[in-house]
Amino acid sequence: MSLEKPSRDTALDVGVTEDGLDYDALADLLGGHVLDREQHVNSEGFVIRPDEVQEVLSTLKEEAGFDHCACVTAQEYDDRYESIYHLRKYNDPTQELSVIVPSPKDDPHNESAARVYDTADWHEREAYDLVGIDYDDHPDLRRILLPETWQGHPLSQDYNQDQPQIVSLREHANPLQDDKRSEDDPDTMFVNIGPHHPATHGVLHVETVLDGEQIADIEPDIGYLHRCEEQMCQQGTYRHQIMPYPDRWDYISAGILNEWAYARAAEDLADIEVPEYAQVIRTMSAEMCRIASHELALATFALDVFGDFTAVFQYGIRDREIVQNLLEDLTGQRLMFNYLRLGGVAWDLPEPREEYFEKIRDFLDDLPHKLEEIHDLVTGNEIFQMRCVDTGVLSPEQVKQYGATGPVARGSGVDYDLRRDDPYGYYDELDWNVVTEQGGDNFSRVLVRLREVEESARIIEQCVDLLEQWPEDDREIQANVPRTLRPEPDQEIYRSVEGAKGELGIYIRSDGTDKPARFKIRSPCFSNLQTLPEMSQGEYIPDMIASLGSLDIVLGEVDR
Amino acid sequence: MQSAPLPETLANLLGLDPNNTVVMIVMSLIGAALIGALMMTNTALAGPWAKRKITAAFTDRIAVDRIGPYGLFIIVADAVRLLSKELIVPEGVDRPAWDLAPLVIASTALLGFAVIPMGNGIQLADPEVGLAYVFATASMASVGLVMAGYASNNKYSFLGGLRAVAQNLAYEIPLILTGASVVIFAGSLQMSEIVAAQQQSLIGPLPSWYAFVNPFAFVLFMIANLAEVGRNPFDIPEAPTEIVAGYQTEYSSVYFVLVYLGEFIHIFLGGAIIATIFLGGPAGPVLPGIVWFLIKIWGVFLFTQWARSAVPRVRIDQLIEIGWKGMLVLSLANLLLTAVIVGVTV
Repeated sequence: MSLEKPSRDTALDVGVTEDGLDYDALADLLGGHVLDREQHVNSEGFVIRPDEVQEVLSTLKEEAGFDHCACVTAQEYDDRYESIYHLRKYNDPTQELSVIVPSPKDDPHNESAARVYDTADWHEREAYDLVGIDYDDHPDLRRILLPETWQGHPLSQDYNQDQPQIVSLREHANPLQDDKRSEDDPDTMFVNIGPHHPATHGVLHVETVLDGEQIADIEPDIGYLHRCEEQMCQQGTYRHQIMPYPDRWDYISAGILNEWAYARAAEDLADIEVPEYAQVIRTMSAEMCRIASHELALATFALDVFGDFTAVFQYGIRDREIVQNLLEDLTGQRLMFNYLRLGGVAWDLPEPREEYFEKIRDFLDDLPHKLEEIHDLVTGNEIFQMRCVDTGVLSPEQVKQYGATGPVARGSGVDYDLRRDDPYGYYDELDWNVVTEQGGDNFSRVLVRLREVEESARIIEQCVDLLEQWPEDDREIQANVPRTLRPEPDQEIYRSVEGAKGELGIYIRSDGTDKPARFKIRSPCFSNLQTLPEMSQGEYIPDMIASLGSLDIVLGEVDR
Repeated sequence: MQSAPLPETLANLLGLDPNNTVVMIVMSLIGAALIGALMMTNTALAGPWAKRKITAAFTDRIAVDRIGPYGLFIIVADAVRLLSKELIVPEGVDRPAWDLAPLVIASTALLGFAVIPMGNGIQLADPEVGLAYVFATASMASVGLVMAGYASNNKYSFLGGLRAVAQNLAYEIPLILTGASVVIFAGSLQMSEIVAAQQQSLIGPLPSWYAFVNPFAFVLFMIANLAEVGRNPFDIPEAPTEIVAGYQTEYSSVYFVLVYLGEFIHIFLGGAIIATIFLGGPAGPVLPGIVWFLIKIWGVFLFTQWARSAVPRVRIDQLIEIGWKGMLVLSLANLLLTAVIVGVTV
């Protein structure tokens, strides 16, 4: 487990103490750059000048070891705009720091962080797109989720929702016009892969410049599935109205993991204690979701590498179906579970309990055999190895630069798993391992997922043991939560859980009402997808497709 | 086993003079129609029905079972469905080539069956260069693929067409060289001679089929054949998840049917070649020759479907590497070795 943990470099240890981060030491490090300090629920926030972003962030990165820019949240207040850079460390994500960059109301702009953290590139583009903050020195500040022709910034205060988005034909790019991108080099060819393409797993558009069969340049174009999830959450009440939305982010069977992200953030914000019994049920059902999600990831990856709807795809779906049935028994739903509640879960395990436990145990007993079958067919296949080993390589440094998490990071040997590193639920009471592989290639990512299925099965087994012996009079599934939840005003929190695809984080700012003032989703797929150009530059088209498959993106979560 | 070609048999059957040229032309046309119909029937069975059933069996599913016994009437339903679809002609396609390509793909493969001895005297013609002819027709399909890819005015199709050329160049040579090793054994290019040469017993009841005489060549040929007909692991010119079905992308309705049909006939032609030069042609106990012949080509079809369901696709550069660096060398070695063995023993 601790294989990859680098011995702490003392220089990168500023402010690290036995009982948490000493923010005074960090403030000393930054000296006069820190204008003000705010208390967020998860960490302290340092307010800095908008033209010192790069300097401050590189100091924090180089000297204090904040190598993970988890998320960039932008929002508009009555008197200012604000960008928050949520920084953490890959070797200890509980060490967090928010860097707050206010910018003036009339001309909101601040220095871009994309030169320090590559991942900030897309995050800042999103902030520009939705909130309207300009980032100076950004390599490519364009809209990312909305069309280029969109008028206004939907999450800014003066945005008129009723304003029709009329774009004259003249302003639209002519779809039949020849693309100029390949004209400089007559040997290359420009190809649009997607938005409708069998291997893009949804509506992803990959603008590709090919040199023969090799990728000369590639740029993912996202936003086709943007459904204003953040805004919808901002218009819903904490207690009941937000919970159904997370199911719709990573909509392929990772619902409970997503719900937990919201639940964790909101519970910490409103100081709700979840009963242990409910935590065990949450842990169990979340791991079921992880198995279902990983099975599907494997199935679709096989689809990309094998060609057609082959046996492996069907085996993956077949095995996932069993988990899906278990989840259906538990939640009454197959995909949009809506099972978690703030402070607990919706209802107890299905009756008769023994029968349900029996079903789970049957599934767990069959699982090793099925995984063996898949290993025989997939990972043991020489052609498969030929295709996947050493293709789409992502180095640990690139992982950190792009803020990649989940199996993508672990496949590159970055030992980062929030279930262990930033424990929540019942994970720290259970016996399981974080899976890592050193290869960083497509093969390693598949292997990580397959081995994580085994670990998830171990977790579920222990949860079942616990639940079976749980005393009947102590089965409390729901804490006491007020009917209308109004967290203290002006609290800010960034909390994340280990979703199926990686770090799924939620930032919430409360304003004393029963709805969040700002609700920001940090989607793991969004960050992971950013690594695609790094992985596929110079590779062949089939390897690019395989890399895309091995990233296991869900466009519902990328675009939100 | 040696019998007169089909037109002659037909003429005799109808009591007409087999030496009359006009009679023979008419009889040849009838014979060609019969063999064409036979192969089309097989394809119709294979495409909409058997392929689905076989793939379903490999992937734990049930597949078509709603219409007719065992879902067989899906063939009719599919035929109506496909033929009644709108033929979409994309803007900017290279018209004569784009229209001709499906015809070339479908018809060239069918041509090959003219010289295949199917047992019970079903063989349209038996020229002395039979095997050379059959290889020639089989490889003509790639012309159709290139035409389709180039004329479609679509970048995916274009890539697919280029891939088809690269793949066929890499695999045609090993395929033919391996076929040539059989010719050395049989001492003839004539199909009936090759079949006749496989009729003696090798050891006990085991016939001297070249698959048993030279299993190495048989395996080589089977692999090269997979590439030739473009099935996994070599379905690279189509590669739906990469280049969206390649050269087929822009075809719809009847043209699509022709392209699809061409592919299946091609698989069957590959099976027929394998059956003839490695599996003793129509030879087999009890059942009539034609039945054995069909069993053998369906066996090869089953093999391609198996590969399709279970084997990952290789990358184009890997395929070319396997073709030029592996298969070519092996097939040359095989040819040389066969020549030496035949030279020493005969």
